[in-house]
Amino acid sequence: MENKKYQYIENPLHVTRREFITISGIVVAFLALPAVWIKTLTSANNNYIQARTKGLYQDDEKAAVRVSHANKSVTRYYKEFGDKPLGHLSEELLHTKYINRTKGIS
Amino acid sequence: MQSEKMILKHPLNVRIFHYLLILSFLPLAVTGLILYFKPLSEASMNLTMQIHVVAGVVLTIDAIGFLLIGFDRVVLFTKRVFNISINDFKWFLVLGGYPQKILLKKKIAVPPMAKYNSGQKLFGVCVLIGGTVLIFSGWILWAFPHLVPRQTVALLGLLHTFFAWVLTLFLLVHLFLGVYMFDDFKAMILHGKIPYDESKEMSPLWVEKEIVPLSDKAA
Repeated sequence: MENKKYQYIENPLHVTRREFITISGIVVAFLALPAVWIKTLTSANNNYIQARTKGLYQDDEKAAVRVSHANKSVTRYYKEFGDKPLGHLSEELLHTKYINRTKGIS
Repeated sequence: MQSEKMILKHPLNVRIFHYLLILSFLPLAVTGLILYFKPLSEASMNLTMQIHVVAGVVLTIDAIGFLLIGFDRVVLFTKRVFNISINDFKWFLVLGGYPQKILLKKKIAVPPMAKYNSGQKLFGVCVLIGGTVLIFSGWILWAFPHLVPRQTVALLGLLHTFFAWVLTLFLLVHLFLGVYMFDDFKAMILHGKIPYDESKEMSPLWVEKEIVPLSDKAA
């Protein structure tokens, strides 16, 4: 059966040149649209991240206190109440434990 | 009585594309169902995901390769599956006469079809659109989820699941009817050729309008 010859084929000119160009254009546009959509979304996301990063740096530049150990309130907390950083009371009050919440999300 | 005249229905490049499609889409459908229902242990689910990804890469290479090498066939296929007429609605009213033929052993009048019947055209549209969405969303979900907003990833996940279900369910019908029409099955899997007389009965418009004798090829 595999070796049996054939006597007929499809007419290779069944698609006209105009049809070929039109359909090719639609196929290419159909393939390009999702790529453009994702590119736009990704750019918008990146723009948002860049704007937020810039804002945070600006806030840091303006801030009088930039690090926690220079924060007067924190210093006062340790001096008058919490003893020392990583001390027993501070650890009990300020530290948290890891809880796996991923099962609740999925 | 049937003559020995044959038509080349599926050229070699189409058959190679279809072989790779079988090799990639069948594992994708099976592993996709496993990933959806999660019946296995964690290690087995990880292995399933790896098989899904490898098969997805094979499907992507197959699709891009055929798009580049057989672009004329892609254009022809697109033209055929989107060529809708009143006959398609009439065909769906009797479902191509297949239920009557298979269940009641009764042959009824069916509107004349071209190379693909209306069911195959609908499947073709789903394959073109769904296949593209599946490949595209699959790559984003697997390789680039960190580059895309979270809501978009969730939307692509939904689209991936939806079109995977559409194509998997269609695949069951495609497999059944593919084997049921055994000459067409042999043509696609083995030698590409189909008897002229059978084509004239199953696809009269195709034979009438698109088929030419081999000697007229150069004309």
